[in-house]
Amino acid sequence: MHDIRYDPVHDEILVTNPFALALLVFRGGATGEEAPVRVIQGLRTQLIGSASGGSNRVYRLEVDPIHNEILVPNGDSILVFPREASGDVAPVRVIRGAATQLTDANTLAVDPMHDLIVVGDEDRPVALKVFNRTDNGNVKPRAIIAGPKTGLLSMGQIATYPPKGWILVCQPGKSGSEEDRGGVFLGVWSVFDNGDVPPRWKIGEGKGGLKRPRGVTFDPKHREVMVADMRLNAILTFYFPEIF
Amino acid sequence: MCCLRRFTGNLRLVVLISLIGTAGYVLVVGRTTRPAMIAASQQALRRPVGRPQLVRSESRASSDGEMCEWMPVNGQVTLASAIQHQGRLNTDPAGQGDEERTSIDADRAPIRIIRDSFPTYSAVAVDLKSNEVYLQDENLFGLKIFNRLDDTPPAARFTEPKRTIGGLETRLEFNCALYVDPKTGDVYSVNNDTVGLMTVFPHDAKGNVAPMRSLKTPHGTFGIAVNEEAQELFLTVQHDNAVVVFRKTAEKDEAPIRLLQGEQTRLADPHGIALDSKNNLLFVTNHGSVHQVIPPKKPRAAGSGKPNWPSGRLDGPVPGSGKFNPPSITVYPLKASGDTPPVHVIEGPKTQLNWPSTLALYPDRGELFVANDTGDSILVFRTTDNGDIPPLRVIKGPKTGLSYPTGLFADTKNGELWAADMGNHSATVYPLTANGDVAPLRTVRSAPLGKAALDIGNPGAAAYDSKRDEILVPN
Repeated sequence: MHDIRYDPVHDEILVTNPFALALLVFRGGATGEEAPVRVIQGLRTQLIGSASGGSNRVYRLEVDPIHNEILVPNGDSILVFPREASGDVAPVRVIRGAATQLTDANTLAVDPMHDLIVVGDEDRPVALKVFNRTDNGNVKPRAIIAGPKTGLLSMGQIATYPPKGWILVCQPGKSGSEEDRGGVFLGVWSVFDNGDVPPRWKIGEGKGGLKRPRGVTFDPKHREVMVADMRLNAILTFYFPEIF
Repeated sequence: MCCLRRFTGNLRLVVLISLIGTAGYVLVVGRTTRPAMIAASQQALRRPVGRPQLVRSESRASSDGEMCEWMPVNGQVTLASAIQHQGRLNTDPAGQGDEERTSIDADRAPIRIIRDSFPTYSAVAVDLKSNEVYLQDENLFGLKIFNRLDDTPPAARFTEPKRTIGGLETRLEFNCALYVDPKTGDVYSVNNDTVGLMTVFPHDAKGNVAPMRSLKTPHGTFGIAVNEEAQELFLTVQHDNAVVVFRKTAEKDEAPIRLLQGEQTRLADPHGIALDSKNNLLFVTNHGSVHQVIPPKKPRAAGSGKPNWPSGRLDGPVPGSGKFNPPSITVYPLKASGDTPPVHVIEGPKTQLNWPSTLALYPDRGELFVANDTGDSILVFRTTDNGDIPPLRVIKGPKTGLSYPTGLFADTKNGELWAADMGNHSATVYPLTANGDVAPLRTVRSAPLGKAALDIGNPGAAAYDSKRDEILVPN
């Protein structure tokens, strides 16, 4: 598993299985060796994932509980499935084609309030590409956040906080050394951002103690952001009231 | 909590107003006599009682919501309902133009950290010459070396290792398999995910030292086995459903000399590997997740165009070709290559296989040991077994101390079977003939007794379950 999402409306947990090119949905309280309630897998799904995950293909996913959809970054495309889909089902929408500028879509998040999809594309230059939520086919992104000022070198999990229009992005830093990688931070952009713009806020390697952050989620009730750090094998929780 | 805070704030305001009023009255009126004050108070329907009194009450100015903003019981559900009922933002909430934008350095210390501070062992190997046991720590990274006969007393907090190998120079991170050369004592350690190297250390290595040699491996290698007679080194490759064979002393960018890969092989998320050079057999455990790969049309950058490099990384899977196969042990001729089908397959519900990981052989008895990770057990099969057959023996139960065993080593010299337990910071030792719910002969424990491992390993994501106030972490 390389991604996990919780659907608070339907009390379900969603994960990927990269090797079996599958999306698994579990009930919210699942524990132990419990079978998923639904599996999306098969030739009609077109699931292939992203090349940057190596053979770790179907890498990440996102759930939109408001519009009842599951979204998957799929290399050269974004696949959208009905949330309740099960088995070998075709996506209801596919964003794909030269105009999309998608070459290695590896991570994404949906903002159901602003009707936007934010996609992390790992191909050079690494970029956040923003699409309308209901886009379909060969469509241009409405915004591309990329360039040296962004500090984006690679991307982990992305999350959005729709009431404020924030995009939270894990930046695990330069490849190479297991530590001292440089460029490690959790960055916050706005869905209104476009171009070569730095994040609005950054939590980094200093006081933040981040080594290789790859996962991010948040608890708006307590105004906290949780970061999964793979080098530390740890979850770090930050009080971050500015964004809530 | 917010209501209590507001009440306390009002009370303080009232007390303050009362004190200021009293002091001001005294200052303004000057030497007013006590009878005059009493008369004035009575006139104002107040009596002196020796403590501050309510003079006047006013509501506080409305707050900006920072302190006592209404907060729902379930933040996420309300977030969802807010999304359904509120309008979207139409302007940039920060109101900054892109041109002058700079980042706000919001760096701060975390208020909480969930992290296991003890080693978690993924693999075990014994140096029978030095009587030392090597444990691979996949939580804090590195190798911990103990005496073979170390046994942590129940009252002890943990056993200190004789020495450790770890640190950035070692390139040890998320390593999952070990091999100790029976002649030289050199230690081979296989990285699974992040570094892409198999590293080799001399038997007396200690501390933060560079490996004596390293070999670039395909991404997602897991198991290791060595054919000492043929001087060949075998590695399983999870991500590409393959087995690659190198010269035993291969290093740097050297290419594999053989590759076993393809649909006929039935390799599916392969993990453990064991060799029977006497009977010329190769055994592999499979978790079962698999997809088809597109055959390469050109040399791949990932393998620098090396021969026998497994396809899959850049050529990619066939879209939608993923499948869940049952967990299995597939058996091949020792020199198998290409898309060779297995000669035997141990698979089915009677086998009890459940995420079968490391394999070990006891050739004299023709027995195959399986670290059965999520089964919390060690399964023993005959090397000639085939099909859906029950194990010959099963080590499982509360007395065994087994908890998510992933590593295994058969010490045929001393008649012992070692397990590395990912779930409890321990390695446990049994007789090679053990069966059932048996207590270990010895336990090397690296955390206080009963302390379960957090098992956060290589976390790539997180989710917050607002209903249960829980953080979900995939590994």
